[in-house]
Amino acid sequence: MKTLRNLQGPALTLALLCGLWLIVILGLLALKPSVFNLGTVTTILQFSTILALVGLGQGLVILAGGTGIDLSVGGAVSLSAIIAMLCLKLGLPPVLLPVICILAGALLGAMNGWLVNGLALLPFIATLGTFFVYSGVALAVTGGAAQAGVPAWLLLWGRGVFLGIPVPFLTLAIPCFALAGLVLMATAWGRWIYAMGFNERSAKLVGIPVERVRFILYVLSGALAGAAGLVSIAWLGSGRPNIGQNLELESLTAAMLGGIVITGGRGGVGGVFAAVLLLVTLKTGLLQLNINTVWQVGIVGALLVFVLLADRLSQRWRS
Amino acid sequence: MNTVRRSGNGIFSMNGREWSLLVACLLAITIFSVASPHYATSGNAVTVLRNSVELLLIGLGMTLLLAMGGIDVSIGIVMGLAAIAIGRILGADGSPFLAIVAGPMAGAVLGCVTAAVVVLGRVPAIVGTLGLLGVYRTAVFVLLGGQWLSGLPSSLTDLLSTTVLGIPVAAFAIAVAYLAVWLALRRTPYGLHLLAIGNSEEKARLSGIPVVKIRFATFVISGVLTGIAATFYVATYRNVEMTIGSTLALDAIAAVILGGTSILGGRCSLIGTVLGVLLLRILQNGLLLIGIPSLWQPVVTGVLILGVLGFEAVSNRLPLARFQRARA
Repeated sequence: MKTLRNLQGPALTLALLCGLWLIVILGLLALKPSVFNLGTVTTILQFSTILALVGLGQGLVILAGGTGIDLSVGGAVSLSAIIAMLCLKLGLPPVLLPVICILAGALLGAMNGWLVNGLALLPFIATLGTFFVYSGVALAVTGGAAQAGVPAWLLLWGRGVFLGIPVPFLTLAIPCFALAGLVLMATAWGRWIYAMGFNERSAKLVGIPVERVRFILYVLSGALAGAAGLVSIAWLGSGRPNIGQNLELESLTAAMLGGIVITGGRGGVGGVFAAVLLLVTLKTGLLQLNINTVWQVGIVGALLVFVLLADRLSQRWRS
Repeated sequence: MNTVRRSGNGIFSMNGREWSLLVACLLAITIFSVASPHYATSGNAVTVLRNSVELLLIGLGMTLLLAMGGIDVSIGIVMGLAAIAIGRILGADGSPFLAIVAGPMAGAVLGCVTAAVVVLGRVPAIVGTLGLLGVYRTAVFVLLGGQWLSGLPSSLTDLLSTTVLGIPVAAFAIAVAYLAVWLALRRTPYGLHLLAIGNSEEKARLSGIPVVKIRFATFVISGVLTGIAATFYVATYRNVEMTIGSTLALDAIAAVILGGTSILGGRCSLIGTVLGVLLLRILQNGLLLIGIPSLWQPVVTGVLILGVLGFEAVSNRLPLARFQRARA
């Protein structure tokens, strides 16, 4: 159990993230104190919900190793939202909208899983291909137009706020993370994921169904992307074909910042959760300071590069 | 040495894969000619060839990268940055000679940045270049200040379209670039080392190949080729737009994979890349002319990548392929 907690990592990562977060908050406080109110917190958590769900799937896929990565998450978010809205237009009962959205995401994830497992393609090239297919189809089918017609009860859920915390964050993001953390810490499945991420060959030799676990993780990543699509529909009131833009970069950055090692087998979901909050706080802060949104992608990208380099340097330093 | 296959060893020698690509090109041309009256015109042929130039140069670099087991998804935006450098110099000075040097120089510098992160930082190429892609995109926006770089002087265009012996200088430049890459790959130790790294980096390192140097050099070479591509871009369009190069990396990866270069490294084909570039551009142009919106283009490219890789994966498992492998 001790080693497992060590793999989960690192109190150090969490402490560092909290430190960074404080720096961001203090910097923002110094530059624009008027930002701080309950409304901003709600906004940050609202934005966090989508990234948290996607980042969780991304983190789990990377954790399982085998050069696992899911670059298609952004496309899957957009496409599942669009599929759900189009199904609604075709006369599907609105009650089924959440189910369709998550199911569509899971199917898109299953496609990735099949390419990676069944055809044994390299994960990064397979999901790069599906990324362009998913996001391209979402844009092309709609011609880039947002799909309106979200039922009122869904908006009630998506825009609801309870004690300053958005309801989707409370009912979807937190349970998902709690469940993932529990599975990783306390079940055989969690150990399997760490074991195959750490050393796939020995994991296979001791009889872990590596391929089945990997397939399920890709499906899960897709389903979480579908859930993120659902949140976007319920919050924004329309299915937007470009809602998943840059999510592949942001979710990767969140996973890496959160202490998941790119080669797999080390890290935990708690760090990812903290990293998501940090990233979204940073983005919201930049937005509040009237800095062009184009800077966001550059800063997130620079953070990703920085984290990866820092990780390598600290490894060399330790050894 | 059996596993490092140097398919297409001669400059123009072709294997089955490359012949079938050529047939696919011809087939696509025939189908589009029947489907659209605007297709089979000399003007359209020039358009297709013209649109292939940047992709071809970037594709050559991407062939080296993929054969080495690397990748660079930021390469399209690298071309954008190099184009901005060229445009600024051209706009300030008007002298085409300085501008011609500026492109490859900017490409080399950016190649060094990418190599520093990916090779020296030992970061997986896909993740490192994805991060850099974000940084470069912001850089393009900031450098352009939210507006197009347009109305550049035509001196560079004039220089590249000057004809020597009836052939434009541009064609010579492309031929020289192709020849240089071919020579480096097929006639120098660098090429062998590159393929060996693609096959197995660990084995290459153990057998004394300077892995870090070769990998670093390859990213820089790819940057230089991208800088040359940027020169052609600026010479042709005489402006630099905000979204420059946004689909080039995907197109280049697709063309190289179509051409038979193995994404697992260790096997590559330059002539295959040339044909892959042509096929991709023929398809994109033809689909546009028969009335399919350009929004579908990334979908088509993505499906091509997955289709080709899927087909290879399945055909490798067929009994015949197993038999041939066993015999080899």
